[in-house]
Amino acid sequence: MPAPTQQRVRPSPSPSKSTVQHREEETTPDGGTIELDNYPEIIDLTVFEQILEMDDDPEDRDFSKDIVSGFFEQAEQTLEKMNQSLVQSNLPELSSLGHFLKGSSATLGLVKVQKSCEKIQNFGKRLDASGNRDEPDDAKSLDNIRSTLGDVDEEYHEAKRLLQQFFKTEGE
Amino acid sequence: MNDNAGQGANNSSDFVRKLYKMLESPQDESVVRWGNEGDSFVVLENEKFTKHILPKHFKHSNFASFVRQLNKYDFHKVRHNNEDGGASPYGPGAWEFRHPDFKINNKDALDNIRRKAPAPRKPNQVVEELIPTQQIDMVNTQLVATQQQLQSLQERYNELSMHHSMLLQEVIGVQKTVVNHEHVIQYVMNFLNTVDAQRRRESRVVNPFAPPTSSGPNGVATTAADTAPPAEEDAPASPLQAASKLLSEVNADHILNVRNLEQMNEQQMRFNATLTTPPPDASARAHNRTVSRNAQPHSAGSSTVSYSELDNMVYPVGHTQGIDPMYSEHINNIPYPLPTKTTDGTTAAANDGRKKGAPVDPGWVRQPQVLLVEDDPTCRRIGGKFLYAFNCAVDSALDGLEAVNKMNAGSKYDLVLMDIIMPNLDGVSATHLIRQFDNTPIVAMTSNIRSDDISMYFQHGMNDVLPKPFTKEGLITMLDKHLSHLKKHTAGLSPMDPPAVPLPPVTKRSMKSEDSPATSPTTNSNWHSPSTFSGISPAGNQADDSVYYGQQGGYAAQAIQHTPPLYHSPSGAPLGTPQRQQQGARRGIADVSGGPGEMGDAKRQQMYAPPHMQPMGRPR
Repeated sequence: MPAPTQQRVRPSPSPSKSTVQHREEETTPDGGTIELDNYPEIIDLTVFEQILEMDDDPEDRDFSKDIVSGFFEQAEQTLEKMNQSLVQSNLPELSSLGHFLKGSSATLGLVKVQKSCEKIQNFGKRLDASGNRDEPDDAKSLDNIRSTLGDVDEEYHEAKRLLQQFFKTEGE
Repeated sequence: MNDNAGQGANNSSDFVRKLYKMLESPQDESVVRWGNEGDSFVVLENEKFTKHILPKHFKHSNFASFVRQLNKYDFHKVRHNNEDGGASPYGPGAWEFRHPDFKINNKDALDNIRRKAPAPRKPNQVVEELIPTQQIDMVNTQLVATQQQLQSLQERYNELSMHHSMLLQEVIGVQKTVVNHEHVIQYVMNFLNTVDAQRRRESRVVNPFAPPTSSGPNGVATTAADTAPPAEEDAPASPLQAASKLLSEVNADHILNVRNLEQMNEQQMRFNATLTTPPPDASARAHNRTVSRNAQPHSAGSSTVSYSELDNMVYPVGHTQGIDPMYSEHINNIPYPLPTKTTDGTTAAANDGRKKGAPVDPGWVRQPQVLLVEDDPTCRRIGGKFLYAFNCAVDSALDGLEAVNKMNAGSKYDLVLMDIIMPNLDGVSATHLIRQFDNTPIVAMTSNIRSDDISMYFQHGMNDVLPKPFTKEGLITMLDKHLSHLKKHTAGLSPMDPPAVPLPPVTKRSMKSEDSPATSPTTNSNWHSPSTFSGISPAGNQADDSVYYGQQGGYAAQAIQHTPPLYHSPSGAPLGTPQRQQQGARRGIADVSGGPGEMGDAKRQQMYAPPHMQPMGRPR
């Protein structure tokens, strides 16, 4: 690549965040707005914005929408698998599924889901929620997972509603 | 007389007239009256005078005040100490006052009685003013003294900070030398290993193609089996094994320290020389998630996996680094000295293009080929998109197995981003396998960044850690760090240059070529010697591989077919493998600086280091 490309690109380090937020304000003047930064406990905007920034066209949000809907699908499958594994008392599989959903939710910045999934991951490893102490009682671990799985389900749907609302308002 | 008196009264002071008038009242004679000679007046009864006369004439009843007033007009109390045995002719309690011009029959003289006001005051005023000036003088002197102190402190500070930076640079230089020595030792170790292996092979009659029945499940046995041809008793001399492990770990440690110091040094320069270098944007922007470098101390510090004894022996101190990669405060403070500078340019570029998500060329000499190994489709897509945005060509593998197969099948990448926990084959095992035949930088992408995790990653040949969820900044940092050789213009060299003045490509190239090989001119020749040796002894390699792959299971046959003759470096830092030659011109420099992670880092730092410290970084 020739040097000029470099020159053209370098001098304009436009601050991304403000751009995005500015846009959101513009597009949601009518009260039906979703300001994602009002829900920091659900979604880490610094993470999620990075995905929004990757949209080729901020008007349609093809990429981020696609990512998010892909995530929904993936998360729901994983939750379903978790439920199955819970019935089968398959702790290793539950840990693995917890890890999996933890990763993708973290990538979107869905912090609540991420944290609960990490707990499941730890419980599945026969540890306590923080992963620091052993939990010798498998029944206890399964119980822990059962209740945490309920949390995850709730938190996931909470996040899903939020994101759906966001993209809805975004799209209009 | 009356006229005169009137005039005199007019001219004379109010007080004096009142005084005179007071003495004209005959009814008060018993209390206050003219003196016997008529040239003084006498207060006979102090109490009565104060209570009754004073209020009548002077509107107050304060004898002391009256006396003070008299004094002001230069009246003087008449004392009778020596005359008449000291007793006043008017009685012991009497007060007699006299003024030369205050006489019973000379009203005109009253005009001469003046308040002596200004005269006595002057000295007082002078005294009053004198004190402040003295104080001011004192304050001034103190100020000057303080200023002098301050100045000497400033000088001392400057001196100390100069010494400090000198020492820093010295230490950095020493560290680099040590690191380079480590590398030299490593190469020597590798050489010794091959010699050792050869010797053992020659002295053995065992069938080299004997099926590998008992490769231990733990890493040690694996390494042993890898390094030496067939059977398990054929491990390289254990001192060699141990030494090389120690070496690899020691290295990582040194590297970290270098980074810390480099950052200190950079800060130092920023403060002292008042450079206009912009603060490292990336580190500022790097949110809590941008970790990675701090990982390294732990890699050296504590490894629990399969080498625990060794580690305990060698690294009792490693943990005192005290940096916990899980804590954001630490993360933000992680020294990213040089990469960050480079990042600026890239980030700027990225920012520019990000809005549209269109690919942005951060200035690659050629498009980097990146292999993204990730089982989570969400992460994979986002990671891929980021990489695409930085104008990297992205290939992806869904798990470690696919990654190993791709690389083993001959796909060449400049960087591998490797998830750790994946189905079929995890990232660490995949890396371990890949390291048997390739030394492309492999970056662990994971949320498991506990120190012992990271230590394990490094022990198995990974070069870096990109914590999940990864950020753009983190990714850029990785690209910058591990693909610096592909950067068209080495931003680190001229971070302050206006963008309009890019380095001419020729300069860059010469810089680069000077940089990478020059770092290890002595070792450079060594690079080839091990490969030469391994070339000599290809026998048993296949069996060797089958040992390895058989153990990993699943794809042994395939792996064997593709596996070229191997040279295994036990430390996981592959040197001078035959692949290097295979890769040919395309990878050229990339290979050299993309070699063992430590090497590459040391080099880059040296490249960006202030010019005066370069000589120190050079191996002697």
